[in-house]
Amino acid sequence: MAEHILSESVVLRIAESTPEQEVLKAVASATSIPVVKVGTTGYPVLEPLVLLTKNGQTAFYTSCSPEEAAEIATTLDNGNLRIEDADAIVEHPPERPYLPVPDLWPLQTGARTVLRRCGWLRPTHPEDYRISGGFETVDSDTDTVMSAAHSVTGRGWGDAMTNTPVGTSWNRSIDADGDPAVVVNAHGSPGDRLLLESVPFLPLEGALAAAQAVDASDIIVYLSEADEQALECVTATVENLPTTDTMVHVVTGPDEYRAAEPTMALEAIEGSQRLEARLRPPTPDIEGVYSRPTLIHTPRTLAQIVHAASGASPTRIVTVRGDVQHEATIEIPEDGSLATARTAVTVDGVFKGACVGGQFGGLTPDLDIAPTPNALDAADLGTEGIISILNEDRCLVAHVGEQSRFARDENCGRCVPCREGTVQLTKLLREVYDGSFRPDDIEELLRVMQSSSMCAFGRDATRPVATGLDHFEDEFVAHADGRCPTGTCTTEPQHEVPQ
Amino acid sequence: MSSEFARDDVPPLTEAIQPGTATDPTVGSTDAATLTVDGHEVTLEAGATLLDAVTAVDTNEDVPALCSYDREDNIGPRSECRTCMVKTDEHGLVPSCSFPAEDGLNVRTDAVAATEARDVNLDLVLSNHNLRCTTCGKNGRCELQDAAIANDVAEPRYGVLDNRGAYEPIDDSSSFIQIDRNKCILCNRCVEACNDVQVEGVLRLEGNGQDTRIGFQNDAETMADSTCVSCGHCVTVCPTGSLVETGIVDAATLPVPGFTQKNSIGRSIEPSDENTELMTPMKQDDWSEKDGQTSTEAATESESEDWP
Ligand code: SF4
Ligand code: SF4
Ligand code: FES
Repeated sequence: MAEHILSESVVLRIAESTPEQEVLKAVASATSIPVVKVGTTGYPVLEPLVLLTKNGQTAFYTSCSPEEAAEIATTLDNGNLRIEDADAIVEHPPERPYLPVPDLWPLQTGARTVLRRCGWLRPTHPEDYRISGGFETVDSDTDTVMSAAHSVTGRGWGDAMTNTPVGTSWNRSIDADGDPAVVVNAHGSPGDRLLLESVPFLPLEGALAAAQAVDASDIIVYLSEADEQALECVTATVENLPTTDTMVHVVTGPDEYRAAEPTMALEAIEGSQRLEARLRPPTPDIEGVYSRPTLIHTPRTLAQIVHAASGASPTRIVTVRGDVQHEATIEIPEDGSLATARTAVTVDGVFKGACVGGQFGGLTPDLDIAPTPNALDAADLGTEGIISILNEDRCLVAHVGEQSRFARDENCGRCVPCREGTVQLTKLLREVYDGSFRPDDIEELLRVMQSSSMCAFGRDATRPVATGLDHFEDEFVAHADGRCPTGTCTTEPQHEVPQ
Repeated sequence: MSSEFARDDVPPLTEAIQPGTATDPTVGSTDAATLTVDGHEVTLEAGATLLDAVTAVDTNEDVPALCSYDREDNIGPRSECRTCMVKTDEHGLVPSCSFPAEDGLNVRTDAVAATEARDVNLDLVLSNHNLRCTTCGKNGRCELQDAAIANDVAEPRYGVLDNRGAYEPIDDSSSFIQIDRNKCILCNRCVEACNDVQVEGVLRLEGNGQDTRIGFQNDAETMADSTCVSCGHCVTVCPTGSLVETGIVDAATLPVPGFTQKNSIGRSIEPSDENTELMTPMKQDDWSEKDGQTSTEAATESESEDWP
């Protein structure tokens, strides 16, 4: 095998997200030509995906069983393969560094900037990454990196600078007393998991560049203990990073939603068994892990910084799930529209609306919104990068009730507006079924939870209910009249409130 | 949980103490500051919070600041009750007990949103409190009662904890300190008194969501089985009737025939016969073998049954 994958004239790439790697094994034993495992493309609907590259052409074979894949490899080996039979073919220069995108749904949907190496390079091989233009940002000067950091806003609720330019945070760490550290918070988000599994060098390069800019001596990659593949991949990648003055550690935290909150991530990294939020201010970039100034960014943020440093325009990584046939993770230019995300999936049933922004996203009947913090904020939607599609069979009163109950059961328990507020909110929503719909009382409680909760968990937990009332108030009124428009809520009105 | 990023300069004793609470950063201002509260100018030393400014003047509205504690530096601010919210032009609504007193801030206690937040949060505290003051040992010297009276709470909007099925049994197993968790506001003062002042490592916070409660670092279920040394510091700092010295449990209760604190709850855990010493048996047995490790508190799974 050559030093990097791009120099192979004939190569078979296998992208499959199951840990068993059955297709990879079947193909490798069926042929003598090089077979490599690449990361997932973000589209499970295409996988297991077999890519045959030969003579400046790449043929795409989608959803291959191990047998089909082995068959392709054997026919290729004995010279009888008719490449025209592939699901798609694309021509490209021989050493093309990024996945060539054929006319194949849903691959051609959206943009491919941050994700362009996914499905094309071996994730943990540094030479593959380098030959595709990687490691240029770690080698560039601090001014370039700093100005990139000022142009990028934090992605995801696990980022300490969500929706805010991250450069401000870096400046605070530079000015603070103590030896800075950088936390790569990859806990719990599908977009971050994709980066760690398919192109882990990219966020790690961002982290190295951040560490150089603020003169940090440690980088801590933090992820959920449930994300085993990402853990394996990032651990192997760390071994293969170019040597710098920065130590890179990998730490896992519990598989709980709240464990992604930036200060709870610090608690988990310090080994706390019970996770609860820390007070702010001072913010973690002044006093963070073991009291050291600590930057906390998601892989998505760090990847954007690398791209901004090379002059690329910003994009958003969005995962679409819910009432769809296959989940998809797609990249959308910031000047594009979230409606693009819908075209990357097949909706199960008739589209009714979407929950935009993850667990505590906002409800909207219309996805034609730019994926920018300002536009999303104006619509009270979240920037988490997860859209759940809701079909017409979904009862939205039940949907927000479930989210409120999740908040009640999963909060850390520290502050009153969230710990007790979610209990009362869940009761108020439950009482709708008993004929008592009190929108003013619900909104008063939401305002206070939003304005006085200690962390984003409690603040964001208000969003599903607030947007549900904004857009679908008639459904609440119908339930108070004893009628569920979708017929989902079949329970007879009860007078007992679940504890 | 794996951690290969550990600190090696922590003394063994404090490392063994696991209070279950977050390691907060140092709060308070870095410099002396002059600011205004409801139009009154206040000047404060470095290290001050907005609550220091609020208490220094005659404010337009009452600020209960229920969970704050200014009598010992090692305790607080926990900043959990959020009944100290004030409005600033620069940062919007902030909890005054933990927000640094920045120079030039314009603080209002009487902004509509701040008053609303304090009132709603106080009612949220009461919603999870057994408000049977007449049978409570702290009746008349309770900070929650004082706050509710000062804030003119007549009818708390979310009611009070008044469901016998939801009450936790009173822990009367120790001959010195009684715990009634139905009156706990989770201010964490007792945990800090125990760990940060006395360095005893007995009490901790455990659980999450509605199951958040004070418990014991040795996983004991009762005070008697804990490693308590009966120093009583936790009782001193507790704002409510949650931690009370056993001898004075009924001291302040109104004599209503047949109606006592215990039968108001229904269940209690009584001391066993041999437990009459001040120090709990666990503490006497083997203090030195305490390893301080706490088990992972199983987090509540979100109920899987269908809504509603
Ligand atoms: S908002 Fe919720 S999760 Fe955050 S500190 Fe408060 S109780 Fe904990
Ligand atoms: S027992 Fe008392 S001091 Fe301890 S957390 Fe509860 S209310 Fe606060
Ligand atoms: S006094 Fe500030 S939050 Fe309790």
